[in-house]
Amino acid sequence: MNTPTIIWIALPLFIGFSSYLLPRSNRFFALGMALVSMAYGLWHIVAPTPLTIELIDNFGVTLVVDGLSGYFVLTNALVTAAVVLYCWQKNKSKFFYTQTVILHGSVNAVFICADLISLYVALEVIGIAAFLLMAYPRSDRAIWVGLRYLFVSNTAMLFYLMGAALVYQTTGVFAFTAVQNAPPAAIALLMIGLFTKGGIFASGLWLPLTHAEADTPVSAMLSGAVVKTGVFPLVRLALMTDNVAPAVQLFSMGTAFLGVTYAIFEKDTKRMLASSTISQMGFVLANPAVAGFYALTHGLAKAVLFLLAGNLPSRKFQMLQRTPMMRWQWLAMTIAALSISGMPLLSGFEAKALTVQDLPPTITWAMNLAALGTAIAFAKFIFLPFQRPDKSEKRGAQLGFGCAIGLLLGGLVLASGQHLETYSVSKVLMALGTLASGWAIYGFWLRRGLPKLPTGIERFEHLIGGMSLMLLLLLGMVAA
Amino acid sequence: MFELCSLASIPLFTDRRLFMTTPPPLTLPMTAQAILAAWVFATVLIGFVGIIWKRNLIMKILSMDVMSTGVIAFYVLVAARGGFLAPIVTGTQAGAYADPVPQAVILTAIVIGFSIQALMLVGVMKLSRDNPTLETSEIEQSNTP
Repeated sequence: MNTPTIIWIALPLFIGFSSYLLPRSNRFFALGMALVSMAYGLWHIVAPTPLTIELIDNFGVTLVVDGLSGYFVLTNALVTAAVVLYCWQKNKSKFFYTQTVILHGSVNAVFICADLISLYVALEVIGIAAFLLMAYPRSDRAIWVGLRYLFVSNTAMLFYLMGAALVYQTTGVFAFTAVQNAPPAAIALLMIGLFTKGGIFASGLWLPLTHAEADTPVSAMLSGAVVKTGVFPLVRLALMTDNVAPAVQLFSMGTAFLGVTYAIFEKDTKRMLASSTISQMGFVLANPAVAGFYALTHGLAKAVLFLLAGNLPSRKFQMLQRTPMMRWQWLAMTIAALSISGMPLLSGFEAKALTVQDLPPTITWAMNLAALGTAIAFAKFIFLPFQRPDKSEKRGAQLGFGCAIGLLLGGLVLASGQHLETYSVSKVLMALGTLASGWAIYGFWLRRGLPKLPTGIERFEHLIGGMSLMLLLLLGMVAA
Repeated sequence: MFELCSLASIPLFTDRRLFMTTPPPLTLPMTAQAILAAWVFATVLIGFVGIIWKRNLIMKILSMDVMSTGVIAFYVLVAARGGFLAPIVTGTQAGAYADPVPQAVILTAIVIGFSIQALMLVGVMKLSRDNPTLETSEIEQSNTP
């Protein structure tokens, strides 16, 4: 059982570097790697016997693979495969594929980590690979956005490292389970690092600009899979220990509201999608026990939306209301948007229903309210005009794009029906009611446009300064 | 301890007189540890404040390096709680030795830290062509949509 896991985790690094030697076939290698991960993820979802690999000696370096990891790995695999298919005919350089495969591998590594130090290394490799992908166009803006991302995430990881040292000082091990006995300061420091990586609450304000300004396939990868690397350890910690869960649950509500508020006000398609990612991370965290399924449905839908939004005639909603898009684009976009909004028959509905199932009533209501906000925000996409396709349009040129969208939407549809117990009359009515009232609010009031939210808070210095405020807030919350 | 056993083949490390002649190694008294810890945290804080305070992008990156120096020092301090002798298997009881685990961990973090710094400085070099003063607010203003 151990050998396949070790081969699987080392394979992307091997493929990533050796694909330089075989530049013609690197896209095949990248796709193959994603397929291997897909099989591995599915295997652990279907046969969830948890597998634990421990480094010999007693300082707690551990890998754990279980059903939860399986869902996250599957998300990463599907998103990576879709991104590779999307780029199939775009003549991307070998450097791009190398970075994509290494990013894929390090994201996988996070999803099986069960100790603070392996996690640190994996998160830092992700930071570097994501920076290289972001800065790849080498324009000033791309470099600045990448630099800002790397700076913020590295500063947060320094806090995280201090937290890890404090955990070791108290308990003598680095395993996640040791966080149970760690002092509050250690937990606050660890959480600030993970919050920043995962785009949680005010620590996630770096995310809209970064995800919106990156290249289309990179945005899809970042929002679909990479951002979940900050959330997954929080989920794992909340499941393994008691002292992390209360703060995580409280912040999940805050995150869902903050993100969705930004998303409703946003006038730019990609920024709106990125803000919605923040809000959806709140949903993933709200109920750690079913986080895997939620992450899967969100990752697939968000990747579809980012890939499509990058190919629309404009990024402004105002322009898109005047220039119709292709009918198939609208159809794909609407399916994904409906899934995120929680439409019954799509997997997003089951994920939302599972998430709010066992929560305390106040949190359930807060989450339903955030779901209403999501419906309002995504109505902006659903009510855009579309036109019949031109006969003159070349079909072959967009084959890779179509395959990518097909793969993601196929996953979204196949994933539904796994949890039939969520289909009760009251829940379906609730979901439909949420959607209808969201669309009504959008149609009657918000369609004419809203004031622009100030973006001053997303300035670099504020992001770093905000980190210290969040740290104090967390410290107060954990110590209380 | 573990992988350090291989070092025992190096003469310097197996020379027992080294340990015999020196007085038994001391551990740090509690107050000294607390004072050192205070300095370490002050370094981290100064670095952090520098990231916000300094306007020049290079200075910001250097401030981050100061902060990471503080973090590294913290790991060394955590390792030295039990003593500061290098943990080498020699056959005789050598006395209070430093914990090698945090040192091994921070070695990884140092390598990651400097590769990130190098990467960031390359980015700054590229940016400096169009923004010779490297004022962060200026760069930010011209590169935010």
